[in-house]
Formats: sequence, structure tokens, C-alpha cells
Amino acid sequence: MPEVILQVEKVSKSFPGVKALDQVSFNLCKGEVHALVGENGAGKSTLMKILSGVHEADEGVIIYKGRPVRFQSSTQARDAGIGIIYQELNLIPHLSVAANIFIGREPLTRFGTLNEKKMNADAVAILARLNLRIDPTITLNRLPISKQQMVEIAKSLSFDSEVLIMDEPTSALTESEIDELFDVIHTLRDRGVAIIYISHRLEELKHIVDRISIFRDGRYVSTDPYAAISMEEIVSRMVGRKLENLFPPKRNVPTTEKILEVRNITRKGVLEDISFDLFKGEILGFAGLMGAGRSELARAIFGADPIDSGEVRIHGRRLSLLSPSDSIKAGIAYLSENRKLDGLAVKMQLAENVTMANVREVSRSFGVISRAQEMEACRKYVDDLNIRTPRLTQVVNNLSGGNQQKVVVAKWLFCDSKVLIFDEPTRGIDVGTKYAIYELIERLAREGVGIIMISSELSEILGMTDRVIVLHEGRLEATLITRNTTQEEILNYAAGLGASAIRESAIRTTHRTNERHGNE
Amino acid sequence: MSDTSTTHTDERAGNATVRKGRSKLALDRLITFGAVIVLFAVFSITAKNFFTMRSILSLALQTSTTTLMGIGVTFTIITAGIDLSIGSVIAFTGTVAVMAAIAGVPIWISMLVGLLAGVVCGLVNGLLITRMKLPPFIATLGMMMVVRGVALTITNANARPAPESFGVLGNDAIFRIGPQFPGISYPVLIMIAVAFIFHFILKRMRIGRYTYAVGSNEEAARLSGIKVGRVKIVAYIFSGLLAGLVGIILASRMVTSQPNSATGYELNAIAAAVIGGTSLMGGVGTVGGTVIGSFIIGILTVGLTMQGANYFMQQIVIGLVVIFAVYFDQLRSRK
Repeated sequence: MPEVILQVEKVSKSFPGVKALDQVSFNLCKGEVHALVGENGAGKSTLMKILSGVHEADEGVIIYKGRPVRFQSSTQARDAGIGIIYQELNLIPHLSVAANIFIGREPLTRFGTLNEKKMNADAVAILARLNLRIDPTITLNRLPISKQQMVEIAKSLSFDSEVLIMDEPTSALTESEIDELFDVIHTLRDRGVAIIYISHRLEELKHIVDRISIFRDGRYVSTDPYAAISMEEIVSRMVGRKLENLFPPKRNVPTTEKILEVRNITRKGVLEDISFDLFKGEILGFAGLMGAGRSELARAIFGADPIDSGEVRIHGRRLSLLSPSDSIKAGIAYLSENRKLDGLAVKMQLAENVTMANVREVSRSFGVISRAQEMEACRKYVDDLNIRTPRLTQVVNNLSGGNQQKVVVAKWLFCDSKVLIFDEPTRGIDVGTKYAIYELIERLAREGVGIIMISSELSEILGMTDRVIVLHEGRLEATLITRNTTQEEILNYAAGLGASAIRESAIRTTHRTNERHGNE
Repeated sequence: MSDTSTTHTDERAGNATVRKGRSKLALDRLITFGAVIVLFAVFSITAKNFFTMRSILSLALQTSTTTLMGIGVTFTIITAGIDLSIGSVIAFTGTVAVMAAIAGVPIWISMLVGLLAGVVCGLVNGLLITRMKLPPFIATLGMMMVVRGVALTITNANARPAPESFGVLGNDAIFRIGPQFPGISYPVLIMIAVAFIFHFILKRMRIGRYTYAVGSNEEAARLSGIKVGRVKIVAYIFSGLLAGLVGIILASRMVTSQPNSATGYELNAIAAAVIGGTSLMGGVGTVGGTVIGSFIIGILTVGLTMQGANYFMQQIVIGLVVIFAVYFDQLRSRK
């Protein structure tokens, strides 16, 4: 029996109006990777915040290394050896890697000045423990996100963490970067560090997780060895009901009517001579690795970024591509990857966000907005898309992630868009709500909208689209019919290997499958 | 049906924040407005002659300039910008209007010329910020110096008397009944009209909606097809226009052009906006709040003066009010 390092017993926590955690128990062993899953609002984050000293529990006990503890601040928890890596990195972009690792406790020389030499040497030593070779003097913001995350992990390790909590660590990483992260996690586990791993991407758990605990509605549901539980079981326990399928049945039928024609789009160093068509009622996927130019292509079509050459026609009419406003008028909508960053004005009301791209529609003469018309229009979309909000004037910040996503969709439907570009529509959204978003996308296609769906989750591409465009380093590698292709084929094109590498990769896949079976 | 108890939890949480949000908003209004009443009551009791028609009307007159500037700067602050050139623009526009009047231009046209000068200053600010992509702080800081310099150059730094009829706007009033009721001065009427018009623009017109959108999330606004550059330029033009209006009013009140006047006035305007709840981070602010903010400053100034506190004392008190107004605002929004 492995040694239990952390034990949570009947912990409860309430916030005004909500019981976030209700009598939750849970234990963590030395040298294990323990996944914690549940929908948004299940209480994962609250529990993690209690463990890391951000919140205090209302009742219950936390036993750490055999003794009851009660952390009053995150510094206390950190000094005791419990580290947390948040989804958003807590690093200072303009300082060096070493300075970031040692911030707040920089080694000093005898004269009280910074001892850069020692700091850099120590940083190298800590990074080496993770089998990483990163120059400690390099400015942090010159590293890719994945490496920055490694620095954050290294920083946490430098406090001799015995428990490491990782909250959605892969959400900003590419496939190959995720592999690197998993290597680091394996290294840590082998050194006896206990890891709590929180993720919405259930797919990836199989590569690293030893045990899995499921939470729902602030309550603890179950803990199992990962090998002893099926994916279906995990999902149904998370949502508290059986989820028959991950994707809705495909009933949309692509027509032969071209809505969108993209010709020779080029943006130096980013996109190279890309052409494709989109048909009415079709769902077209954009696949590719991070940095392949998927979002950049979408933004170019939308007029959000300047292009060097090429043209876009909608129903045969050429777009200026100088600014989004012309594209919006022509019926193109772009639902960006990062809702909060560039999709929503979160300080503003739901209704104001819905009409934002088309306030003209609810205006009288001289640019005066008719509040009554605005409310009427919004009411329709709130009902239609089943947006859960107490009021139309609710400030968007107070809505859940899934509902925020729906507000963005409502905004573009209100513009009477003919082409909807979804960029990672389900990122950071829980399983139950994902299905609702898929249903919505499928329904829109059925109603005759042309849909482009950018996704890093290949299962999503395979489950939802009619055709897939695979990009690699800004070039269009392949256009595939979804039902005739496989995950491997897409991955190969995405890696720029082309058709020739398919056989080789098939061997690798078999190998991986065997490994997976070995675990089970 | 995707209705599980999770969504109930979400809703409960949502409702809780809503209730809190709604009462918070009402509380905000109440507190700031309550502060005005309390201040007023305190001075009415402690300062002799504070609670008389005469001093109330003079308070309104004194506050009118801060309010007008404050409304302009509120627009720029909501777009997450700032306008530091207001004081200089006031001096410049007043000077231009008076010089036009001296040159024989009819009074009302010379005043329009002054307003136009304000609009041009605002337009230049806006272009520097949107075309040359300068940070608003830098662009308007530069303009603050340039415009002041121009005002001093064209007048050789001398104050010049304006024709007598130029003084009507700043010194006359309607409903003048005698010493007991000296009437409502034109600047006060202008303040009331401007407050209503700009409140309407901000809350009910597309340009107002866009102003909030740009300040709340510029990229989201751009991707929604809003012409962000144009919205910002309009905000700076409003600020310039209202600074021009203040410039004319002040020149008219003194019946002279004073190229050295109004130094640092922009800071009073910013203080009024901030006390009224405008956030320097952008996306938040109201005309009503700024009016209340101006009146808090005005009541303090007049009240303290009548109590015999000197100018230095007033500065200390108003400074503390700015600091604590924002501190309490943050405390409340953090909860």
C-alpha cells in the first residue's frame, strides 16, 4: 500500500448563495498522478484553493504528512510543500528564467547585491531535475508557452514541493508540447512527488494518470484506479446521467451551393497561397498543430489581420478584407478562440453584447438605440439558444463559460451571418455543455449556414465535420473527406509528413495502442 | 435536456451575484449621492450663510466648469484613455475667441470659432492616438505643452481685454430678481443642458454604446465591426469641444483672454470623474457620476472657504477625498 501523503476529510465550503463543497473526502498517495475531474462548478477549483491556502474550509479536516493542517495563505501552503500551477501562468514576462524561479528570495552577495551567478547556476540545477535544458538568462517571454509552463513547474519544485496541483496544464499546449509536459510529470512522479491533475481533456488522462476521482455539484462521487474505469463511466458519473454519444447525430447535408470562395490568401511568413471553398450547410474543419496558421487563416478571411495577396468572395461578391466591419456586413462571423480576450466585453450586459456587432438593427434614426427593440431581439436568442441567465441585463462576467460562448453565438446570429467561423468552440467548456454547443453547430449547418470549425481536438474534427482542411506551417497540406479519413492521416498531414509517412505512423499507433492495453 | 443540478448550482451562484450586483449598483448611487447631501448638510450647519439661495447659485456657477470638463474627460477615460490637454485647450480656445472678437468678428461667431478650436485640438489628440498609435497619456501630455505654447505665442503671453459684450455669456443670468435671487447664470444652464445631452449620447446612442465597448474590450469591439479608431477620435473631440466651451465661458466671465489661465484644470476634471466612479481601466463611468463628483469637489471648496479654511487646506481635503473615494470603490467591487 503506497503511503498516503494528503488526506481530505469531510471538507465543506460555502460562498454566499452556493455550497461549493459539501462533505468532500479524498486522498492522495506519494508518487501518484491523481486526476480530478468534474464539470464546471463541481468544486474542483474550490478544493484546490483550500489545499493551496487561498481559501479556508468551513468545516472538515486536512491531514498532510500525518498531521492536521490549516493553511491561512498560499505562502504557508507552499512552504509546507504544496505547490499549485494555475491555468494562467504566474510569471513575469520581462524577467529572465532564473529571476522568475527565484523571485522574492533572490540569492545575494556579501554586499547585498543580486548574486546572478549563483541564481543562474541554481536555476540550471533545478531545471536539470526536470530533464530540461533552458538557458536561465533568457527573458521569459522569448520562450514558447510550453517552456514557460516548465519554468513555472521548476519554480514550484524549487520550494521542495511534495504535492503539486496542476490546473488544466495542457490547455495552451500543442500536441508535441503536451508530450514534453507528460515526460516532466513522469519524472516528477518517479521522484515521489504526488500530483493532482485537473483537466477537461479526458482523452489525455490515459497517458499519465494512476487514479481518478470524480466530483459533481460540490460532492465527491468516486475514486478508482484509472485502469479499472471506462471513459463512458467517467463521463456519466461526471454529468450524473448517461451520455449516450459525445457528438449529436449528423443530419446536416452539405449542398453544392458555394457560399465562400477563398483564393490564394497569402500573408508573408504566416499563410502561403491558400485556396478553398465552403458550401452552404457544410461543416468544414481546420486541423493542424498549434502555429500551423488555422486561426490566422480565419482572421485573414474575416479581415481582422492584413493580408499581402489573395481574395475572398461571399456568394460571388468580393470582400475588401480591410477591416472586420465589411466582412460582418457580408455575413461572415468569427467566434474567436479566447472569448474573454477578444470575444466579449465582459463588463457589459448580456443584451449589449448580443447586439454589439449589429446595434444598427435596433436603432432608430440619428443613432439612438431602442432599448425595447434590443430587449425583444435578445429575448429571442436567449430562449432559442437556451442561455441561462436571470436577466437580459446581466453583466456577462457573471455568466458561466458555456453561457458566455452562447452569448457570442447569439451576437453573430443576430448579424444574420451566413458563414460562422468557430475557433476552438469548446475550449475550457465542460462535457455536458460541449454537447449543447455541438448540437447548436450542427443545427446551424442544417439551417443552411456554412460553418468553419477550428479545433485542436481531433475527435471533435472527426465527430463533427464534413470535410477537413489540414494546415502545416501556413500551407494547406490536404483537404480530406471526414468520413474517409482517420486520426492518423490528419496527424501526418498536420506534421507535414504527407501521405508517404502514413505506413510508418501506423506502426507507431499500434505500439501506442498496445501500451494502452498494457495499462488497462 | 442538459438540465442537471450543476446548472442549478450555477444559477444559484449567478443569482447570488446578480442580487449582489444590483444592490451594489443602487448602493453606489446612494452612497455618492448621499455624500453630497451629507456634505451639504454639514456645511449648512457649520458654515454661516452656506445654506442660502445666493451661495447655492454661486456654488452651481463655480462647479459648472469642472462639470463640463469632467464630462468630456469621462468619455476619454471610458475608452481607457485620458486627456491631459484640457487646461491648455481652455486657455487656447478662450484666447482664440477673444482675439477673434477683438478683430471685429461678431461675438457669437467668435465664440463658435473658439469651440471649433477646441474640436480641432480634440481631433489632433484623437489622430495622434489612433493613427500614430501613441499612448493617450503621452499624446495629450505633448498636446498640453504644444497648445499652451501656441496660446502664449499668439498673445505674446499678454492678457487682452475683450469687447464688453463678450462678457454676457459668463456674467449674465436668467430669472434675476434682485440680491436675494441673483438668477441662474448661463454657465449653469449650459452645464445642465450639456449633462443631459451627453448622458443621452452615452446611454442611448450607438456612439455611447461603442465608447463603452471599446473601453471594455477593444479587440472584441474591433472584431464586432466597430470602428475603434473613429470611436476614440469622437471621444477626444467631445473632450476638446467641452474644454473649448469652458474656455469661452471663463474668457467671457473675465472679459479677457488669459493664455496663462486654467493650468492643471484637467486634474480637477479627472478627479471629478474618478470620484464619480469612472474607472481609469476603461469601460466604466457615467455622466451622472461625474456631475456628482464635481459637486462633491465644489461643495468642499465653497464650504471650506466659507468656514475660513485656506486654499492649502482645501487642497489637502480634496486630495484625501479622491484617494478614499477610489479606495472605498475598490473595496466594494472586490467583495
